Amino acid sequence: MTLLLKNISLPLAPFALEVDVEIRGRVTAIFGPSGAGKTSLLDLVAGLRRANSAFIQMDEQVLTDTAHGVLVPSRLRGVGYVPQDLALFPHLSVRQNLLYGHKPGNGGQVSFTFERVVEVLEIQPLVQRRVTELSGGEQQRVAIARALLSSPKLLLLDEPLASLDLPLRARIIPYLARIRDEFRVPMLYVTHDRYETLALADEMVVLVGGRVAQAGPMQELFSRPANLAVAGALAVETVLKGSIENMTNGLVMVAVGPVMLSAVEQNLPPNTREVYICIRAENVVLHKGSDNANSARNHLTGVVRSLVQDGLLVRAELDCGFSLTALLTKKSAEEMKLMPGDSVTAQIKAQHVHLIGR
Amino acid sequence: MSAEEWQVVWFTAWVAALSTIVILPFGLGVAWLLARRDWPGKSVVETLITLPLVMPPVATGLVLLEFFGNHGVGGFIQKHLGFRIIFTWRAVLLALCVMSFPLLVRSVRMAFEGVDPRLEQIARTLGAGNLRVFFTISVPLAMRGIVGGMLLAFARALGEFGATIMVAGNMPGRTQTVSLAIFQSVQDFQDTEAFRLLGVSVALAFIAVWTSEWVMRRKKF
Repeated sequence: MTLLLKNISLPLAPFALEVDVEIRGRVTAIFGPSGAGKTSLLDLVAGLRRANSAFIQMDEQVLTDTAHGVLVPSRLRGVGYVPQDLALFPHLSVRQNLLYGHKPGNGGQVSFTFERVVEVLEIQPLVQRRVTELSGGEQQRVAIARALLSSPKLLLLDEPLASLDLPLRARIIPYLARIRDEFRVPMLYVTHDRYETLALADEMVVLVGGRVAQAGPMQELFSRPANLAVAGALAVETVLKGSIENMTNGLVMVAVGPVMLSAVEQNLPPNTREVYICIRAENVVLHKGSDNANSARNHLTGVVRSLVQDGLLVRAELDCGFSLTALLTKKSAEEMKLMPGDSVTAQIKAQHVHLIGR
Repeated sequence: MSAEEWQVVWFTAWVAALSTIVILPFGLGVAWLLARRDWPGKSVVETLITLPLVMPPVATGLVLLEFFGNHGVGGFIQKHLGFRIIFTWRAVLLALCVMSFPLLVRSVRMAFEGVDPRLEQIARTLGAGNLRVFFTISVPLAMRGIVGGMLLAFARALGEFGATIMVAGNMPGRTQTVSLAIFQSVQDFQDTEAFRLLGVSVALAFIAVWTSEWVMRRKKF
């Protein structure tokens, strides 16, 4: 599926949504801080909102073209929408909700039969109930199933897990992965949670202040944020100011105060000296006791200042002359008997030290 | 109660109920347009609809009398359709419709405004057209306000006096409603008769309120 969003312009309260992007991923995460215009963008794709100007094309079909007065009504767009508040119809039963837009098959090879969708999302036992009697996670699955049963060519999900607590999120993500793999519906997935993004998406569009800050394959964005706004939106944990000391054979030496870091040359503009250094917490390996020789270029000695549990992971804040965040599993932290105040060595491969010119 | 009194009671209840049914489709349509759409002249229409609520009923009755009288639209209707409006039961119906319409519209409009527009939008993405969304989402979710508005309109119609007497007169057996009959009885010093009709009014009002409460309780979600 190709979704073309061109010349989009929609005034919102503090800024204007201005987007020009082509989306090709199976699951594309629309990532950005709240208030970045993510929901408005989905509304435009679903035809629920009019923009000042917009050209939206899904595969061969032009859905919106303000220049030529084209605005395909929402009901004919073949777009399934799961809004943030789910919008289940409170006066109808779960079954009536599910069947509200049911059309078996969208002409493609996949058929969205009631039985199959209900089975994949495991909502068979809920079908006879009222929607008001469902728990948060159950409502979530019903809303997703209802959208799927309309045999959409594209599924729009607006922060589908935002209202759920952490353990429940972890339980819903596999359902979304199943939808992606079994029904092969392309998804636009709005989120500001990078774990969801990592678990589901293959491409992402980072939206900051109504504009596309960066778009592309997910891994690339996470390891090579184009600018500070993207790094901030993606919550790359460590962002430092530094200056380049020298470049030899593709290896860049960067000074952060008295500490030197090695990075791999990353097509920086010529004569760049001052840079931001981005290091993702999961790329920092901690080692306790005497340092060992290994392939990592950067070995930084530091002190553990704090340990915070974050789901199944532990986030360690280190003082290495600057503050550095490392992410490790709870099990590793226990096995290392890691405690605040401990001296550790942080190892980072040079290719995991990402530089952005400033 | 005498046969004449029964006739008055039946006539009143029947015309009031009929007026509520007649204005219902228009009320739903207008209320929805006011709640969900912006269009030129919206504020003018809003004001016109509300006018009978704030104008003296007798003044509204006079407007109707002039408009539907022999020199107005009424003359045209009589000539081409062959029936008269003023000073017949049709005039009673007309007066009740006009007087109770604003109450219905206000109540239903507020009910439509209380329906989350997101639900209607999502129904559209599920392939529903405007009419289907209206009848399967908007109306059921606004049902409390609609029933409430119908009750208000019916109650207003039951007690209507000023506009009715202007446009339909006070003709026993033909256009006389309970309100007009009570007034007539007191004028004629027939206090017992007035009190009997008063009791009937109370009973009618009670049944209306109780029925709507019962409907609401069944419509829980």
